[in-house]
Amino acid sequence: MKLDYLKEWFERNIEREGTFEIGAGIPPTPSAVAPVSSQNVELLDTRIAFGQFVALWRRNKGWNAERLASAAGIDPEEVLQIEYDPHALPEPDAVYKLAKVFELSPRPLLELAGLVVGRTPHLREEAIRFAARSESIKALTETERQAFEAFVATLAELKD
Amino acid sequence: MTESKIYLRDGRTKALVEASLFDEATSDHLALWDRDWVPAMQAFCAGKSLSEKPEDSHWDWRRKSRAATGLLGYHTLAIVCADDLQGLMMANDISSARLPQQFGKPLIYVDFLATAPWNRPQIQDPPRYRGVGQVFLLAAIELSMSVGFKGRVGLHSLPDAEAFYENKCGFTRLGSDSSHQGLIYFEITDKQADAFRQRN
Repeated sequence: MKLDYLKEWFERNIEREGTFEIGAGIPPTPSAVAPVSSQNVELLDTRIAFGQFVALWRRNKGWNAERLASAAGIDPEEVLQIEYDPHALPEPDAVYKLAKVFELSPRPLLELAGLVVGRTPHLREEAIRFAARSESIKALTETERQAFEAFVATLAELKD
Repeated sequence: MTESKIYLRDGRTKALVEASLFDEATSDHLALWDRDWVPAMQAFCAGKSLSEKPEDSHWDWRRKSRAATGLLGYHTLAIVCADDLQGLMMANDISSARLPQQFGKPLIYVDFLATAPWNRPQIQDPPRYRGVGQVFLLAAIELSMSVGFKGRVGLHSLPDAEAFYENKCGFTRLGSDSSHQGLIYFEITDKQADAFRQRN
């Protein structure tokens, strides 16, 4: 493919950009494109546990997602995706880096994330048990309550 | 790999300067991305919250390029000026149109398009060069022509560029797409593409 345009075309048209910040594209939301199968359902169970584990690990340290991302050298978006979207397939590289921060062997984490075939006995059952027990039943902290109320207020302001 | 002569506008002198469009982003281009683009973006993002950072600040073009390497139907394009990388675009020719008047027909879909940090008025004033976005859209239309798609192009706009595609480039707005994090999807028909190529 070759562009063969006179200088005048650029002279006439570049000004149209003005001060716009021009960009396009974003990866499709994984949950929107992932086919549903019984194997996927099993993966969802372990990924929910993986996401909760990552969230609890950092909360136990008092870290926010950005701080964990920074320590691991990955995008904050990847941390949030792991914690909140069990449909998303994490990057193996990100799981290795998180395992290093957690000072754990990457193998079981890769299994939980569905990146390698499961071979650890009872890992899925343990993961489900962990996920079921680790869901917080504690009342919101003052900071969480303020954030929650601010978000509710924002939602209430939005019109259809 | 084909190199085309194009022009960008120098943000400081306002003069048109010669630049090159490559229809294949090479390892040399990605090395420039690593060397200059990444540190510039990191410097701008330092200390900013997620919502204050540019929407593409976390894009890893090496990973994107690696994923597309060897795949039929995927194209990575680069713009270089004064030995510096000025923009990168990835597009594919395996997508279909959504507009009713061309529904189901093949088009060029722009997967990703970004200009270098120093070419963005929000990051650097004045920006080093303007015109990168225009040239990439022209390239997407020409790519569409070259593979027999008559200029049809589709893309999901980043929020800051919506008015540009709709009002300045003649794209048709098809609305928010929940499968792409709510981004607005735009499409250009063969006639709109023709007008874009010939406009005065």
